[in-house]
Parts: sequence; C-alpha cells; structure tokens
Amino acid sequence: MTTSTLTKTDRTDRQPPAWTKMLDLSDRALAVLLLAPAAILLSLIIVYPVMRLIYTSFFSLSLTSGLPAEFVGIENYQLMIEDPVFWETTWNTVLITLITVPGALFVGLGLALLANIPFRRQWPVRLSLLIPWALPLSFAGLIFAWFFHSEYGVVNDVLSRFGIEGVIWFNSPNLAFAAICLTIVWKTSSFMALIILAGLQTIPRSLYEAADVDGAGRIRQFFEITLPLLKPAIVVALIFRTITALQTFDIPYMMTGGGPGTSTATLAMYIHQNTVSFLDLGYGSALAVVMFALSMCVTAVYLRIIRTKE
Amino acid sequence: MASVSLRKLEKSYGALRIVKGIDLDIKDGEFVVFVGPSGCGKSTTLRMVAGLESISDGEILIGDRVVNKLAPRERDIAMVFQDYALYPHKTVRENMGFSLKVRGVAVKDAETRINEAAEMLGIAHLLDRRPGQLSGGQRQRVAMGRAIVRRPQVFLFDEPLSNLDAKLRGQVRTEIKRLHQQIGTTIIYVTHDQVEAMTLADRIVILRGGDIEQVGTPDEVYNKPQSVFVGGFVGSPAMNFAKAKIEAGHVCFANGDRLPLSAIQTGKETAFDGRDVIVGIRPEHFVTAADPAITLTATVQVVEPLGSDTLVHFDMGGETLTARMPPDMRPTVGATLRLGLDPSKVHLFDAASERAIG
Repeated sequence: MTTSTLTKTDRTDRQPPAWTKMLDLSDRALAVLLLAPAAILLSLIIVYPVMRLIYTSFFSLSLTSGLPAEFVGIENYQLMIEDPVFWETTWNTVLITLITVPGALFVGLGLALLANIPFRRQWPVRLSLLIPWALPLSFAGLIFAWFFHSEYGVVNDVLSRFGIEGVIWFNSPNLAFAAICLTIVWKTSSFMALIILAGLQTIPRSLYEAADVDGAGRIRQFFEITLPLLKPAIVVALIFRTITALQTFDIPYMMTGGGPGTSTATLAMYIHQNTVSFLDLGYGSALAVVMFALSMCVTAVYLRIIRTKE
Repeated sequence: MASVSLRKLEKSYGALRIVKGIDLDIKDGEFVVFVGPSGCGKSTTLRMVAGLESISDGEILIGDRVVNKLAPRERDIAMVFQDYALYPHKTVRENMGFSLKVRGVAVKDAETRINEAAEMLGIAHLLDRRPGQLSGGQRQRVAMGRAIVRRPQVFLFDEPLSNLDAKLRGQVRTEIKRLHQQIGTTIIYVTHDQVEAMTLADRIVILRGGDIEQVGTPDEVYNKPQSVFVGGFVGSPAMNFAKAKIEAGHVCFANGDRLPLSAIQTGKETAFDGRDVIVGIRPEHFVTAADPAITLTATVQVVEPLGSDTLVHFDMGGETLTARMPPDMRPTVGATLRLGLDPSKVHLFDAASERAIG
C-alpha cells in the first residue's frame, strides 16, 4: 500500500477539465450571450412584425379580391395622400392628442396634488384614482355613451335641471368630438395622476421646509420646487399618454363608431376598418406604417427633450 | 441678532408628550447646543423655534416678539437641515440667492451678499454648479451659505454634520465655530453627538425624554454633571458607574473597597450615612501616581491600545470600569491592580433619584 501526498507541483500542474474552457468567455461574448434572449424575443415580437408590416405596405393584398399579393411599390402611399378619409382621421387623431394629452395632464396634476395632501385616510382617495385607470377602455366608452345619451343620459338630465335643453350629443360632429375628448380625459387623467403622484412623493419634505424658511409661499413653492422637480415624471407620463392618444380606438369606437359620418373616426379606427372590415391588408399596412412613424417621431421629440434636460 | 426664550414650551401628539414644558433663555449671540439621545425632543424643539412644527403649549420669543403664530418666513431665522435641503435643480448661486429673491432684495445687493458668503465659506468656485455635482462637505457649506446670506436674527442647525464622514465632520465643525466667531449671530444647534456639543457650544442643553436634564457650559456639564444620565452622556469613553453604600463616613463598594467620604465631599459627609449611592468616575480620572490618595482594587479584563493612550477595562466586584491609561501601559489580562483615584474628580449620585449629591 502506498501513500501519496499532494505536492505543490501537483497542485499547480493540475489542469481544469477541458469542458470548463467553453465557459471561460470573454466579456464581450458573455455580454452577447446574456443579451441574446431579450434580443431574440424583441426581434420576434417587435422587429419582425414591424418589418413584415412595412413589407406588406408595398403590396396590393386584398383578401376579398381573391387575387395573389402583387408588388405595387409606393402605390398604397400615393392612394393614401389622395384619400380624404385618411386626412380626416389623421387630423381627428392629432386633434384628440392635442386636446386630451394636456387635458389629462392638468386634471392628473390636480388630482395628484390633492392625493398628496397629508391627511389620515389617504387610501380611499388613491383607490378612487386607480378606478378609472383600471377600467377597460371599451367599458369606459360604453359608460360615457350612456352618460351622453340624448334620452336617458345623465348629462342631459343634469342640464335640464339647470333649465338647459338637452342636446343629441352624437348627432353633431363637434359635440360628439367634445364628448369623446371628455371621456378620454376622464379615463386617462388617473394614469397621469398616478405617475405624477409617484414623482411628488420623491420630492423631500425638507425642500418645502427650506422654502418655508426662505420665505416662499405655497404658489411660489409650486412653481419653484414642485413643478421643476416633477418634470421627469411629467415627461414620462406625456410620452406614454401621447403614444396611446395617437392610437385612440376603443372610446370613439364604443361611443360613436366614428360618426356622424367619419367626423369622430381616428386613424386607428380607419386602419381597423381597412384591415378587418374590408380585408385590404396592403392599404391597411400602409396606414399602420404612417401611424407607427408618427408615434416614433413623437417619442423621439420627447426623448430629445429629456436628454437636453439632462 | 436676537435672544431666544422658550417659556413652558410643550409639544404633544395626542396623549404622547414629546416636549414637556421647557424653560430656557438663550442670550443674544450665544451658541447653544441641544444634545440628547434619539427621541429626547431636541429636533422637535428646534423645529418649533423655526415654525415648522406647531406648539401645543407655552411661548417662544425671538428678541421681544412672541412668534408662536408666525410662519417660518416671518420669524427672521435661517435653518441648516440635516439633509441640507438644497434645491437640486438650482445652481449653488440660485440656492443661496433664493431667499433674497423671494424677499425682493435688489439683484446687485443679493449678488454681493452671495459672493461674500461664498468667499467666507470657500465655495466661490462652485457657484455655478448644481448640488448633485458637489461632495457632502461642499453641500454642507452651501447650506450654511444659504443661511448666511439671509443675515437672520437666529441660525438653527438640525444635526448638520450627521451625513458627513468622521474626518469631514471635524473640519466642518471647526468652520461652524469660526463662522460663529466671525458673524456672532445667535445659534441653536441640535446634535446627538456629545463631542460636537462640547466643542461648539457656549452652553449645552442636555435633553432627556422631552425635559431639560441640565444646562451649562461644556466645562460645567463635564465637571459637574447633575445626574447619572448627564455623567454618562457627556465624555468619551463614558463615565464609569459603580453601586456603593455610605457607611461611617466611607463610600463602601461591593468588593470591600472603601473611599473616605471626606476626600470626595466636603461639609455634609455624615448626612448621607446609610444611603445607597452611585459613584461616577471618568476613565481619564484614574491616576497612575506612585502614591495615590485613594485606590480601588480591580481585575484587568480587556486592554485596548489606541496609540495616544490605552483603554483598560476592569472588573470590580461585578462592576465593569474603564480607565484611560498612558500609551505605554500594558497590564496583563487577569492581573489584579490597585487603581489610583483623584478624589476631587469622583462624583456621587443618589441611587434612587440618580441626581448628584452635594
């Protein structure tokens, strides 16, 4: 029987198993490996559909015609430029964005400031902020369609109590548009309020105390401390809200179906109509590409604003 | 500059009394430090002086004005906060000039004041930076600068050094002291650090459980603590306490050691016969003289060499004592030594009330 002792040479000469070399990656290779799952997933669910959308927009592809897809170049885009409904729905979309985004911002800011006031039971207020946000868009659209109903709607009922004659809201393009904008502001201001409330809670109380000692009143404190420190939260809320405003579909779809005529139809509704109702995938894709480009432009502008601030 | 008076000042949250009727007069130009453990009411008292906390009862006077109902901006005070409370989106210049802008001080005058304060604090080169671009010490100076430009009647400091590391704390402490010597404005300063209190204060107010335990100069609270709490709170390492009984003119310890009361007290020795007492001895008051006047017998437990001196922890009949010894002294652990005492530095407290005797 022999005994062996572990010498220094044994220890230094012993090599790790060959397979472990495969795991000895450079930093770059490790980074690629770690990022790969996310990159593949993003490619599958975002990059591929977007590319496919752009590709389809260069084809004439109507499922009702029974004809095979035919490459038509930029013909769908030329058609779009000459299409008055495209311009009307795009204008409606932009108008809804221009009205409801600042509207939701102001209402949301007000709600957030109210919810941030220290009092004993804050949870009922915060819960009531959450409810409109948690409601499905189509459900909100349905509720407000009843609210604004000419015969049994609560809005006309309230107006009549003040001696004002009720109106048929959804018969007039302007009134229908106003009703839709009000509904969107109600539905989305809670989201704005939640983000702004989160921003408000990151502002240290001591800053307001310092301002108190410095001699600044409440209004001055709001403009000199609250608003500048809320800017990052507001910009984030604006980015999300603007992008979703550009995609407005559910609420006008449930309230007016785009009518009267196409006066309250949005670009998203027109895309839906072309692709789902008319099965014209080529033209629908071209419209969708334009909406995508619009969203990207807005995001780029906001991101530039953030970067400038930094 | 102005004096500050607190008259039976109280603060309660429901049934919970945080500040229990404080009476204090702070002289014009005095540097007063409120010190005490967490929850003793020192910050609450300061915030009541600032007007950031309402008063449940009593009065606060700044100068000869009762300011109970005045808003902070109307009290003519400036405050340096624990977290500095600098406006993160404003430059140093804007931070320092904010109060002047709000009060409508002319731009040129404001600029002069900001530059003067910045020069005084050595932050002139930082005026165009934002707080996020400054170190902790620089932020602290900016916070002080913001207070200085106001030229208020009273400065309030709420634990301004607690976010700084030990070295920087020492530096800024010296700067605050120099600042007070330069501008001479009344300062009320809150800290839980007794070293800060001792080094900065003209007078120290030691708070405990919402009450003032003792008010005095640093020398007074160090040399004549009026209670076991003050004795233990002021000084580092803390004062040693050992239970004893007074019998036949001697302080008798549990281990049998006896100290003649006549060497410690004067006048009323016999009045205390039979009384249980707590003997307080500061670690630095043990002596190594060849023939000390009085001695205690104790066993060495732990030796801690600190370079400048050596801390030796002893066991004396179940009581643990700490002695600050010369740096070259290295007693053997387990050895029993005779510890010399300077009798004039021995403190006696009543065991029941924990108040000083004599």
